[in-house]
Amino acid sequence: MSHYTRTQSQQHPTQRQFNPYTENGGTILAIAGADFSVIAGDTRQSEGYSIQTRYAPKVFKLTDKAVLAVNGFAADGNMFVKKVKQRLEWYRHAHSKDMPLRSIARLIQTMLYAQRFFPYYVYNILGGIEEDGTGAVYSFDPVGSYEREACRAAGSAQSLVQPFLDNQIYFKNQTPVLGTSHPTHLPLRHVVQLVIDSFTSATERHIEVGDGVELYIILARGRGTQGLDSFKDVQELTPHAEGERLFVLRRELKKD
Amino acid sequence: MECQFGLSGNGYVLLAASTTAVRSIVKMKHDQDNIKVLGPQLIMSYSGEPGDTIQFAEYIERNIRLYQIRNFHALRPSSAASWLRRQLADSLRSRNPYAVNILLGGYDNATSKPHLYWMDYLGTLTNQPYAAQGYGSYFVLSLLDRYHNPEASLEEGLETLRRCIDEVEKRLVVSQGKYIVKVVDKDGVRVIEL
Amino acid sequence: MQYNGGSIVAMVGKNCVAIASDLRLGNQALTIATDFEKVFPITDRIYLGMAGLATDVLTLRERFRFRVNMYSIKEEREIEPKTLAQLVSSTLYERRFGPYFIEPIIAGLTDSSKGSQPFIASADLIGCLNFAKDFVVVGTAEDKLLGVAEGLWEPDLEPEDLFETISQTLLNAVDRDAFSGWGAVVHVITPDKVITRTLKGRMD
Repeated sequence: MSHYTRTQSQQHPTQRQFNPYTENGGTILAIAGADFSVIAGDTRQSEGYSIQTRYAPKVFKLTDKAVLAVNGFAADGNMFVKKVKQRLEWYRHAHSKDMPLRSIARLIQTMLYAQRFFPYYVYNILGGIEEDGTGAVYSFDPVGSYEREACRAAGSAQSLVQPFLDNQIYFKNQTPVLGTSHPTHLPLRHVVQLVIDSFTSATERHIEVGDGVELYIILARGRGTQGLDSFKDVQELTPHAEGERLFVLRRELKKD
Repeated sequence: MECQFGLSGNGYVLLAASTTAVRSIVKMKHDQDNIKVLGPQLIMSYSGEPGDTIQFAEYIERNIRLYQIRNFHALRPSSAASWLRRQLADSLRSRNPYAVNILLGGYDNATSKPHLYWMDYLGTLTNQPYAAQGYGSYFVLSLLDRYHNPEASLEEGLETLRRCIDEVEKRLVVSQGKYIVKVVDKDGVRVIEL
Repeated sequence: MQYNGGSIVAMVGKNCVAIASDLRLGNQALTIATDFEKVFPITDRIYLGMAGLATDVLTLRERFRFRVNMYSIKEEREIEPKTLAQLVSSTLYERRFGPYFIEPIIAGLTDSSKGSQPFIASADLIGCLNFAKDFVVVGTAEDKLLGVAEGLWEPDLEPEDLFETISQTLLNAVDRDAFSGWGAVVHVITPDKVITRTLKGRMD
């Protein structure tokens, strides 16, 4: 004869919570020049340790003189870009012209803050040419705080890239030779090279950065292409040379 | 909730410690002396877990005394600080660590220089011109950044110390009550009535 | 590891190495001292840096001094950098399940009979060694240091150029870290001398 006891596991009510967000890695970066602006992002999209795709653009053309980079939760980023583009199209229909860059920046702020209590989980960097012809970079936090800057990195390798930029763009911790001063704006060729170097460095040390990098380069009205000529495979996205000109430059990054 | 701070000047170190002993919401004592005289020219203020503080301070006091008896001379401030630190560091990884924070002030006769050491319960030791511990440090340190002068006379040093005590009294929610102040210099240790 | 703050970096140059640390000692967000060095000489040509819990930095400095002295007495010669690295590693691994909360960096030159070759290494808090050929970083500004060093460092730098590179790397990295900074100290070790310089930095 045998007997056994059954241990009744205690039944606790369990709560499940749907998490509407995820983090898709990658890094974006933008630098403003005197009469140009460069906005770049890598193309890897990942979740945890898995790579979802090696080519998912994070940088988008909004108008001929405005480019938006989005980083964070990719689904929110794509949706947000879609909605910004829609608002810009409505503006074009209403006013028969493209929205000025500083107005796009303010529009992005209001659109982000409208979602204050269910935010787009995205860091935005807007680059382009202002109405006065100067290169500009606007950076945003997920709920719409923004600022015009000369350079900004965001995303998973922000902590690797930003101090490097402080040093190379703002010349932080560097003293100019007596009687001279540091340039406030760097030449285009130099900026493009710094951006590519930043991404190569970030790729080397950060697992979520890699595969490829896309650089969007916006030139002010009437500015020649000097500084771009030394780079291979630069593709122009604007149909004609009047007005602002937009170029894209793609480079492979390490895939490991 | 106790507060202690110290500063060095021209040839002296001043230590000040609040004299109120608190347990829960009750003030148990108004005249507690939290500054031990460890040697002819060495003083130590302490704060932390009640019980640990007294136990540890007395242990230090007796052993520093023992060294003096055995060797016919007192430990110099830097050596005393190193030994004290080691006691705390060893205690930290023992079964029952002491939770005691310490300021050590001394006058080194060999070099004729005052020394002030800041030490926490983990055994973090650093030599400082001025130092503070407890909630008071959040107010006092910035004051000392502004007013501390390593060449100040004892009177000027005491004036700075009064500023510190007044500031803590003014800004900290809990009143610290009275302070006991001791000075160590070439002439030895004295209690100072503010 | 964030309790006291602090960061260290070491780099290889041409027949030389450099090691540098910041000077902050904090108690969480409150800065206690701005003269707290985290890099110590072991021999004339080997330096050891430790970032992490300050009490363990002090304890281990004493412990390593003892163990290196014992080594010198028994072997009747100076310790080699790679031997020191193994010594550091085994000392840390002894406390595998109750570790010292520090991450060490070793920088030095091998004995002149072995050609004064540059050597750097780092380890984690339980002594897992990393022998890098270019640069190593530890501390609260680790990620920032990696980013800047990856951008600025190049092979075969002469001592003065290496000094500039390591200084710029450290200063710009700690300026983006709330737990590190308040000045820095840099040692450049060459076969015939060690150049030590204290740098001013942002005080915020």
